[in-house]
Amino acid sequence: MNTGAAGLTLAVSTLFAACGGDYGGGGGVATADFGRFCEEALARVDAFIGRAESEWSAPDSTRYGGTAVVGAIGELTNGMNHFVTSNYETNDHQQFVNLMTLLQYDSTLAMQPYLAESWEVDDLEDPSTITFHVRPDVFWHDGFKVDAEDVAFTYRTITDTATAYPNLSMFDHYVRGPEGVEVIDSLTVRIRLARPHAEYMDPWPSVVIMPHHLLEDVPVTQLQQHPYGTQCPVGNGPFVFVEHRPQESWMFKANPVFPNVLGGRPHLDRYVYRVIPEQTTLLTDLLTENIDVYINPRADQAPQIEASPRLTLLHYTWPAYTLVAWNSRRPWFADARVRRAMSIAVDRRKIVEAQLRGYGSLANTGVNPLHFAYDPSLADELAYAPVVARRLLEEAGWLDRDRDGLRENADGEPFEFTLKYNQGNQRRADIAEIMQAQLAEVGVRVRPQVLEFGTMIAQMTSQERDFDAAIFGWNTGIGRLDETALFHSDKAGEPYAMTGTNDPRIDQLLDTLQLVIDREDAARFWHEYQQVILEQQPYTYIYFDDRLDGVNKRLRGVQMDARGEWINIKDWWIPAEERRGSGS
Amino acid sequence: MHRYLARRTAAAIPLVLGIATIVFFVISLAPGDPTQVLVSPGMRPEVIAQVRANFGLDQPLPVRYVRWLGALLTGDLGYSYSHGRPVLEVIGQILPNTLLLSAAALLVAFAAGVLIGIVQSLRQYSITDQALSVLALFFYSMPSFWLALMLILVFALFARNVWEWPIYFPPSGTRSIEYATLGPFERIADRIRYMTLPVTSLALVLAAGIARYTRGSMLEVIRQDYVRTARAKGLPESRVVFKHALRNALIPVITLLGLYLPVLFSGTVFIETVFGWPGMGKTIVDAIGTRDYPLVMGTSLIFGAMVVLGNLIADMLYAVVDPRIRYE
Amino acid sequence: MAALLVWIGLMGVAVLRRERVAGALSGSLEDRVALATLVGGLATVWVWSWRDVAKPPFRWLGVSQWALAGRAFARNRLAVLGAIGILGLYLIALLTPFLAPADPALLGDLLTELLAPPSETHLLGTDHFARDVLSRVLYGARVSLLIGFVAVGISVTVGTLLGAVAGSLGGWVDTIVMRFVDMVISFPQLVLLITIIALFEPSIFLIVAVLGLTQWTGTARLVRGEVLSLREREYVQAAQALGFSRWRIIIAHLIPNVLGPVTVAATLGIGNTIVLEAGLSFLGLGVQPPMASWGTMVADGRNVMLQAWWLSTFPGLAIVVTVLCFNLVGDGLRDALDPRLRR
Repeated sequence: MNTGAAGLTLAVSTLFAACGGDYGGGGGVATADFGRFCEEALARVDAFIGRAESEWSAPDSTRYGGTAVVGAIGELTNGMNHFVTSNYETNDHQQFVNLMTLLQYDSTLAMQPYLAESWEVDDLEDPSTITFHVRPDVFWHDGFKVDAEDVAFTYRTITDTATAYPNLSMFDHYVRGPEGVEVIDSLTVRIRLARPHAEYMDPWPSVVIMPHHLLEDVPVTQLQQHPYGTQCPVGNGPFVFVEHRPQESWMFKANPVFPNVLGGRPHLDRYVYRVIPEQTTLLTDLLTENIDVYINPRADQAPQIEASPRLTLLHYTWPAYTLVAWNSRRPWFADARVRRAMSIAVDRRKIVEAQLRGYGSLANTGVNPLHFAYDPSLADELAYAPVVARRLLEEAGWLDRDRDGLRENADGEPFEFTLKYNQGNQRRADIAEIMQAQLAEVGVRVRPQVLEFGTMIAQMTSQERDFDAAIFGWNTGIGRLDETALFHSDKAGEPYAMTGTNDPRIDQLLDTLQLVIDREDAARFWHEYQQVILEQQPYTYIYFDDRLDGVNKRLRGVQMDARGEWINIKDWWIPAEERRGSGS
Repeated sequence: MHRYLARRTAAAIPLVLGIATIVFFVISLAPGDPTQVLVSPGMRPEVIAQVRANFGLDQPLPVRYVRWLGALLTGDLGYSYSHGRPVLEVIGQILPNTLLLSAAALLVAFAAGVLIGIVQSLRQYSITDQALSVLALFFYSMPSFWLALMLILVFALFARNVWEWPIYFPPSGTRSIEYATLGPFERIADRIRYMTLPVTSLALVLAAGIARYTRGSMLEVIRQDYVRTARAKGLPESRVVFKHALRNALIPVITLLGLYLPVLFSGTVFIETVFGWPGMGKTIVDAIGTRDYPLVMGTSLIFGAMVVLGNLIADMLYAVVDPRIRYE
Repeated sequence: MAALLVWIGLMGVAVLRRERVAGALSGSLEDRVALATLVGGLATVWVWSWRDVAKPPFRWLGVSQWALAGRAFARNRLAVLGAIGILGLYLIALLTPFLAPADPALLGDLLTELLAPPSETHLLGTDHFARDVLSRVLYGARVSLLIGFVAVGISVTVGTLLGAVAGSLGGWVDTIVMRFVDMVISFPQLVLLITIIALFEPSIFLIVAVLGLTQWTGTARLVRGEVLSLREREYVQAAQALGFSRWRIIIAHLIPNVLGPVTVAATLGIGNTIVLEAGLSFLGLGVQPPMASWGTMVADGRNVMLQAWWLSTFPGLAIVVTVLCFNLVGDGLRDALDPRLRR
């Protein structure tokens, strides 16, 4: 649902939110007229790329050629229009397929040059400006050169509130708007920071540079309805847009003028993204080699993929976790001891083993296994211990006073609460069921309640905080991790402070963590912070589930990890004899 | 006839508008709005407010309704939030898919259903009759998504990977990747191959009902005096059945065309989802889920209009088949 | 013959599950209902068999339409088979506490018994919670049959009332009701269902209510048509001429004549409703856990169809058999009630 580095985003996998789920367009607003924008843009792309194609010859016929087909359940909502995208797969296509970012993460999550050939920070200890040098050899697919104006335009637009850029919060510590960016020369651009932040470089591997020459004249509020994104994207990345059949497929072809330093023209001739909303169908498509890659299959489909000699199953750690949030404004969950009791009365390890089948790990805090401060040893502190849970509940004053098997507090109020979760997510329904059974054993009654995703989120984020407890998920992305919006008492009135956490130690640590640039120092504070979270248990953390991908073995050189499924799509290749239509 | 058509069409307009209006208010009452799915903690209230303003969602409900209605009169169905493009354009791109699928399914279902119904009626209460009844009902009784998945398993997965049949059917999609490079006849073959499974799943469900109806209708007709007369005259049985009985028996079956359209469209919701077939059924369900009001109303309108149209066609066919019926 | 089978079956349950049966009296309400069903069933079969012996072979005395229809129905082997099937299903649903080998909500050992194939301990295998599929299918019968029955009850009642009112009053009432019917009928029912369910929190009550309230249109049309045509029939006009009161005519003539087609529609409707509920489950809008209908089970099981086929196949077959039985009975009734179709 989000770019890699964009803080926290609700990880949704409801039926509806899975496809579409984003926005774009203006209901009730008169339809804007963009005239012949698309016709003209596509004609220029045809002319420029067509000429380059005729000049290009394959250096190596075994590696160059063929079509790869990727299948996934959702449409690439908003297409290649980065200004309005909040969908995860869509962002990946912008970053790695059709467009480019200034920087990229390498496999160790260090930042590397990409569209920017280099960059400088004025003062590493106390940074106030970043200067990017744009590569001189990158072209928009319609023949225009990519330059500093494109970067400046992108920066101005995404930091303009009227654009409603979904990840605007990445730029909290930057100077927003036209004052924040300065074009030094045609390939050099300088960005200004407003105040220091530990992870100040964090936005750049995920901000996609957009074409200044095509979109500058579009009023920012109309960007959402602009046909550029879904009908005629003109990118600058390794793949050129060919065709989009809504709710069905996207087709791209190799960009023959992609800079050789960055790998040159991709090996594949064509790349197709197909939308197949039903997961059982997706699996059979993969098994019958109708598609080459199945993006994000369910863990229970993994054995089928592994059993097929023609397929490989890729799996890797993913910075998303499932949790139970406790509303501390409610009488049951005001006391940290009770919340701890909830966490240890449920056999989380068993849930992890049964649901993830080895593809994932137990979560103890929001710090994911990819983060430098991750500490797997924390698990032991909250291991399954119903006896301890009963004791904690008794200490907190919850006793079974009337011998009906259900605990009450001193006022006779029973420990009986509603546990909300969203529709269409089998795993969350299953967790609710297990919790109901296991909490009953310690004298607590759970009433699971299923809601439509939008409704549930609306109830939790509203000022009324209409929930007792809820199961949902966050996708934190790689890079910056900042839980201020969730647990800082200053943010209590803001939507995502659902738990109502109010703890001075948490506030102080969150403030500090934002400023400590040195990782070793930061790790110490992170350790301390996680200890407080373990003790306070605003959430009961369940697990980090791995991301899975099923890949046909004819597709070679595929590399996928937490940075994205498409990170090295330009290096994917299919041996000549195994290509579609080659008789095998 | 023309006047009748005009009158029917005029009566249909408020009908269809009524449907869209009901849907508009029901869906607007539901909690959540199109911006709801955009939940990232970084989005401060002012950004969300901006998105809502960009969408025109900051206007009160009646205002939005009146605006929608006003735009509709000028032929504008508004903008789809979830697709980021005009509703008319979205529908224009997916409607042909649904029409193709539905038309093919109706054709197959009527052909198969009528045939089965005739066979059954000629052999009433025989083993054949009962076996066909049970068989037709068997498919009719299966949840359609399950039937569709079973077809995929058998005719795609097992046919290709286990039994290695020379012909198998692709589990999803509307055409192959190489479609653009194919010749005209290969293209038709390609499309038919991709349509086979979805059309079969849709048609199987409808055929049972049509067969049942045809059987009943035939049984009724066969007992009529003029059929007895024809038989008594010594006309060959095939002539009696096809010339005299069938023509009259089919008249009530034609009404099914109008009646089955909504059923068919409900069916497309599942079939389009299972087979990854981009069409109206899947779109409207997604649109409801994402609270994409303009798209929900646009698709509702089109669905309603198609049903009304289907009923009109049924009426006209009626007049063609049955000379006793005259419209004025 | 059928009676004997039922008797043997019931006795079998009583003997094989004697411990459960013995404990049922002090058990929960559903246990007691099951016990009552068992005792009642045995008694009924017993009395019935005595009647067979004591009296001469049953003979049709009257030649009323109902008797004729009954005879026609009895001659239709498939319909009779369907009727027996339905009877069996309801017996099974009521006796579930005695029949189910395990608690349907009982989580098994998640590490060793997960998705176990059918075996001696779990006749129909286990699901993704290591729960016994057979028990779940048995308990699911109650949910699915209940949904079908209640929803159709609602739709038939509403449909009959509105249809009768529209047909007998005529005028603007008729116009309004029928325009509304036209509107609802010309719209895909599923879309209407989804829209309404999106409004509220999905619960079994909501689903039953919505299924019931969106399906009445067919019945309303049917009843109105019957009423309109009956008004023109000679015997009704004769009754009117004789000065019989309006109510008497409705009760004595309209209702019996409308009852036939409505019964047929209801029987077919139950099957439809069960399939429809399965469809809603596929979209994630059906009955919510921990309660499970057959539809939910098929929909959930489809995700592991290739790996654990028993998960969706058995509840799926249960749906097919049930809907088939209802449809056979419906068809049989239609044939039997329509004198023109009798052989």
